[in-house]
Amino acid sequence: MGLGPDLVAELEAVVGAEHVRTARGDLEPYSRDATPMFRGAPDAVVWPRTAEEVAAVLRLATRHGVPVVPRGAGSNLSAGTLADRGGIVLVLTRMTSILEVDADELLARVEAGVTTAALAEAAAAKGLLYAPDPGSRTVSTVGGNVATCAGGLRGLKYGVTRNYVLGTTAVLPTGEIIRTGGRLWKDVAGYDLTRLLTGSEGTLGVLTEITVALLPMPATTGTGVAYFPSLADAGRAVTAVIGAGIVPATLEFLDAKCIGAVEDYAHLGLRRDAGALLLFGDDGTDDVVARTLDRIGELSTRHAALEVTLAEDVVRSEALLAARRCALPALSRLGTLTILEDATVPRPRLAEMVGRIDEIAARHDVDIATFGHAGDGNLHPTCVVDRHDEDAAQRAHKAFGDVFAAAIAMDGTITGEHGVGAAKLPYLQDRLGADQVALLRRIKAAFDPAGILNPGKLGS
Amino acid sequence: MNLFDPQLLDRCISCGFCLPACPTYALTGDEGSSPRGRITLMRALDTGVLDVDDPRVREEASFCLGCRACEPVCPAGVQYGQLLETWRDLEWAGRDRPLVARLLTTVTAVTPLLRLLGLVRRPARGAGPPDRSLMLGCVERGLFPGVSRAVRRLLPGIAVPPAQGCCGALHAHNGDSQRGEELAHRLGEQLPGVVVTTSGGCAAHLATVLGRERVQELSEHLVATGTTPVGEVRVGGRRARVALQDSCHLRNGLGVAAQPRALVAAVADLVPVPGEATCCGAAGTYSLLRPGDSRRILDPKLDAVEAAGVDYVVTVNPGCLRQLDQGLRRRRSRVRAVHLADLLLDAAGGRALPRPRRRALRAGRG
Repeated sequence: MGLGPDLVAELEAVVGAEHVRTARGDLEPYSRDATPMFRGAPDAVVWPRTAEEVAAVLRLATRHGVPVVPRGAGSNLSAGTLADRGGIVLVLTRMTSILEVDADELLARVEAGVTTAALAEAAAAKGLLYAPDPGSRTVSTVGGNVATCAGGLRGLKYGVTRNYVLGTTAVLPTGEIIRTGGRLWKDVAGYDLTRLLTGSEGTLGVLTEITVALLPMPATTGTGVAYFPSLADAGRAVTAVIGAGIVPATLEFLDAKCIGAVEDYAHLGLRRDAGALLLFGDDGTDDVVARTLDRIGELSTRHAALEVTLAEDVVRSEALLAARRCALPALSRLGTLTILEDATVPRPRLAEMVGRIDEIAARHDVDIATFGHAGDGNLHPTCVVDRHDEDAAQRAHKAFGDVFAAAIAMDGTITGEHGVGAAKLPYLQDRLGADQVALLRRIKAAFDPAGILNPGKLGS
Repeated sequence: MNLFDPQLLDRCISCGFCLPACPTYALTGDEGSSPRGRITLMRALDTGVLDVDDPRVREEASFCLGCRACEPVCPAGVQYGQLLETWRDLEWAGRDRPLVARLLTTVTAVTPLLRLLGLVRRPARGAGPPDRSLMLGCVERGLFPGVSRAVRRLLPGIAVPPAQGCCGALHAHNGDSQRGEELAHRLGEQLPGVVVTTSGGCAAHLATVLGRERVQELSEHLVATGTTPVGEVRVGGRRARVALQDSCHLRNGLGVAAQPRALVAAVADLVPVPGEATCCGAAGTYSLLRPGDSRRILDPKLDAVEAAGVDYVVTVNPGCLRQLDQGLRRRRSRVRAVHLADLLLDAAGGRALPRPRRRALRAGRG
């Protein structure tokens, strides 16, 4: 399609010629993100440095009616950063300044392209914790985390990214630069546009700067693992833990297939005879952590755990966490196409949902292994097939359609932390209903009258 | 078209975890100069969407350092180094490779020339029992012949056959992987027993061709055989402060990182330096072919080494040694770059290391 020489020249005038690329070889690397099976090449890639440059690019795009897709590291799993309608990919990886980390106000202010790990490190250097910790934190950007409302392993106790965003600077497609929220925990003046932008997946505005809340760094962390005969037993233990008023930082599960794959891959000495394992961890003062882990161990044993092991030290603790962290690498080595999905059900129905997933997988003749966050009902069914077996890929695709339907039928949802993107847009109305989807479209139109910002995603 | 081995290319799940590990992506922030982006370019070559003459494709095949820092962080286990070798073979098939690369690979492939170089530069020689032998790397033989002589004194029993060719790593990394493999096989026949090398780059290439069990880098060999270093390195009446620069291929290709640190720590104060595990920009022939980019990679590393207040920075690879030595001289730093073998020999009371230079009045960047 191409953008036309006028627009390219105008873009170059805004950000500098070296930060606008339109050659085929320059566009190709931006034709995919981390989502398997989805492609979409842009007509131009543009790297702005400031909010003002972003605003100028968006004004041009609105005037010319050209789609703009904001992109950070492109690590999302929902095809949210693909230019599947062509146009401009607006890459924010030059905006990497950490503007402030304030230990008195307990907040940090960063540009959108800062990686989550860099933010966490800058906070840790001042004895502070940035709580959200998505698995992709070394690569994913804070802007992307806010846009998708990313979660992570500490979600049970600390919640998701949404709970930490105090304010944003966002550029609207029409070119206005707005500041939402600010530096305050308590701030209720007006519609909560900060929350609206959080999780808006680059469809309402381009986030250029974000202020996040930090916490004091917990004194210590501890980890343990419990093996169960079945996932149903593990589920009952989780219910018992929460019911006892214990909210640990981490409560993760692997099903039997994941345990097998992880053990084959990493040889961590996991029990292969277990039907499921729960990995639990907490942070805080020494005595609180020790008491929490003991209580979870006790409750697990009471609910049929085959074995409970508490890590004596950090090294042992890291070895246990490795079991959860390497679930993806272990599974991905079973084939060449790895589809890692994301659905959430009410916590007490987790085991039932995994059972449903197993049935669905059998019905479609694919293998789906499931791991995830037992504490908040967020699970990651993962299917691995041969990249060149198109029939198997199609079967997997259909199976996941059924998985999302099953989640919705259980009062769950189609994504807990990865976002909707283009990949799950077909399922969105099943979750929200026609009236709410129509409202989403009206909101989208209010922000983006020309409909240029990340079309084909939320609000389309 | 299957220009690439599908078993290798299909491994990549496009997760992007490699991005923060990649030194060239750190320079540009452009997906195209990241490992994932380069694999996307390879896929485009494979499917015919782009061809080898595409300017960006050619540029990226050359811009990549080949440091393989992306491999240890890859969840899916992509063997990027092997994909890169295939890519460079494709890029340079049927056309002239850069003059410097051609010159080096031609010279190093001719064994009589290497022997002649041996006569002039006098690397170690000597016959020991044939259960292990020391490889005389061709770059090292020319630039740092003292390194092999140091090893000869640290490991008196080791065989050092004078007739040995090049391992072919330079060829494999510069668009001629077939020649690289032939040379490695030939060298494998010339060297009896376990091949001990003083070069991370050679070690990784040889291990790929001859098998991991046949090849040990010096630090790996010393630790595996329990050869404990003796003495200590002193500077101005105190224990020396020493930084370590990893060899990319040793660390990322063979997973050897703890051993050189253990040896340095045994004879001096090992000082951790930010960035010590990332590429120094030497990258085989890279510093000769792309001197500008090579220095952009090197400069922050030298800043970090100087800020750490060390006396020496130890390397385990001749290319890195040359790169750091030149860089430090250029800015008249007091810090000296030395090879691990020389550090250990100094500690053992053998040949002394060059003393750290007296600090310049102003830190010059001449």
